[in-house]
Amino acid sequence: MKTPAEAAARWRRWRHGWDVVVILVDRDLKALYKRSILGIGWAVAAPLLQLLVFSLVFHRVLAVQVDNYTSFAFCGLLVWSWFQSALSQSTGLITSSQALVRQPGFPLALLPFVTVGVRFIHYAIALPILFVFMAVQGIRPGIAWLALPVVAAVQFVLTTGLAYPLAALNVRLRDTQHVVFVVLQLLMFLTPIFYSVESVPAKYRPWFDLNPMTVLLDAWRGVLLHNHWPAAGPLTLLGLIAVLLVWVGERLFVSQSYRFVDEL
Amino acid sequence: MNRGFAIAAHGVGKQYLRRSDPARTWRELLTGRGLRGTSEQFWALRDVTFVVEPGSMLGVVGANGAGKSTLLRLLAGIGRPDEGRLEISDRVNGLFELGGAFLGDLTGRENALLAAVVAGFTRAEARAQMDPIVDFAELAHVIDAPLRTYSTGMMMRLAFSVAVHTEPSVLLVDEFLSVGDLAFQSKCLAKIRTLKDGGTAVVLVSHGMDQVRLLCDRALWLRDGRVVALEAAEVVAGAYEAEMLAETVRRTPDRPPVDLGAGRELRINENRFGSQDVEIERVELVSGSRLASGGALDIAIHWRAETAVPAPIFSVTIRREDGVICVDTNTRVSLVEVPDLAGQGSVRVRIERLDLGAGQYFVDVGVFEQHWRHAYDYHWHVYPLVVEGRTALKGVLVPASRWTIG
Repeated sequence: MKTPAEAAARWRRWRHGWDVVVILVDRDLKALYKRSILGIGWAVAAPLLQLLVFSLVFHRVLAVQVDNYTSFAFCGLLVWSWFQSALSQSTGLITSSQALVRQPGFPLALLPFVTVGVRFIHYAIALPILFVFMAVQGIRPGIAWLALPVVAAVQFVLTTGLAYPLAALNVRLRDTQHVVFVVLQLLMFLTPIFYSVESVPAKYRPWFDLNPMTVLLDAWRGVLLHNHWPAAGPLTLLGLIAVLLVWVGERLFVSQSYRFVDEL
Repeated sequence: MNRGFAIAAHGVGKQYLRRSDPARTWRELLTGRGLRGTSEQFWALRDVTFVVEPGSMLGVVGANGAGKSTLLRLLAGIGRPDEGRLEISDRVNGLFELGGAFLGDLTGRENALLAAVVAGFTRAEARAQMDPIVDFAELAHVIDAPLRTYSTGMMMRLAFSVAVHTEPSVLLVDEFLSVGDLAFQSKCLAKIRTLKDGGTAVVLVSHGMDQVRLLCDRALWLRDGRVVALEAAEVVAGAYEAEMLAETVRRTPDRPPVDLGAGRELRINENRFGSQDVEIERVELVSGSRLASGGALDIAIHWRAETAVPAPIFSVTIRREDGVICVDTNTRVSLVEVPDLAGQGSVRVRIERLDLGAGQYFVDVGVFEQHWRHAYDYHWHVYPLVVEGRTALKGVLVPASRWTIG
């Protein structure tokens, strides 16, 4: 039996947790762009420049053949950027958040949500550009778009779930940050962002399917570009793995945070 | 809080691994240094038992490395004790790492809101407290300017103001905020007292025994992680100072006597104590060695330091012939910031009205290590002062007084 007082305390804790995430996301966004001329416009400019270069190389030089290439590549690029930037940034979370780690009673486990949230906002800001490309290439919204929040949620939780153990590991081994950076760079080319996974030779295909980002990109593109409902099986499995990662990783994260301040 | 305590520690112990050299990079890990390095366990804190009631203040004293910070950290909920039990009421806030989450590009108001939410308020609660926070920090005129335009003092004021306005039931204070001007510091002390009277339990880590005497009800003395004493603040402060004296004697080097003229000599471990890292070369009673009762006393202390010494404390004590201390003041209680010293220079103090009874006194001057750990130089019973005028009879003071018979 829960007394009303306990229920109120619990509600307040959730409320406070939400407010912490909101205010820290706000802080990080302001910190990133407060003194830059283009400001939050970089969220749009950066992927556009990347798209320009990569589509030149893959589409024109290497002659990758995919329908509606611009929308296809930009969709992949945005989804991947969200994943990559969130993960590489959150690896250093504990080591760069000393002040918060030392704040009595601060809900540390929320920190990765903040980083993944900030990068999600960048993603959301750039999305309208993708819609423009799609409109130009004659792609219209369909009923399957209702699945978008689910796909986004799975990616959000998965990224957070990976961020926890990486940030925890980085406390003991500072090289983790660099390793993650390099691995993500390489993984970018092993993920079908600028080419279609269909064009991968059959004998390598199973390896590509092990990449969770392949599954997610497939879901995003299916929904956005072809109005296809995402395949429930892989997405559900990924979601379950993500929740498990968060559940285990969070404990690891908090205990390593304390160890970190202990060592100072 | 009706359990009768805000903090209860039962035999609390915290163990750390003192690693000589753990693997920090993957290369070291791969070349076999391992994640543990060579390690030994040591107790940073052991068998610590105490209770802090709501509305009372506990001072924590001890040398650096005695476990004070470890204790504070455990109280703040950062890490858990390896031994014993720690019971703490829910809303803990600390006056350390002040403004750690602050960001220069945000305005003062945005930062205050951020700090209040980080400290445990919801956004709505934080907004409701914003006016009192800004008023207390005396920053209303600049609160919407970016924080990077603030001085350090202004930043500390804002951070402190946020911390004391988050209605903590336990307030942890590490060292004292030596930043900010005198008026603001006394305002902070007053605010801490108000919180205390309102039922907040305060734990104050301090190196200043005067502060401990003045503010704390009880004090806990830690040495090498263990409790040396847990008594009334006055008692612990006295004992701690006595130990400091012993430490000073131990550190005092052998030096030939210094002739001061007029038949007076400075002799090591007789009337001169201290490590001599800062030497008091000459003490000048600018107003003369004879003074009319009620007159002003001016003292100039000329010092020399061969190597740089961090922010020492200067003290002046006036002692009657029979040893009764009549005046005792120092740069720390006067909230005067002494910079790091190197080379030579002088420090002056003026006591506006010295209403002492006629008689023989001595002016004792000293310069101390910044945490009162030992004296650099202390001259005792060297500089005589004769006060002339009315007698204080059995008292010490002869303040201006008027009788009215009616």
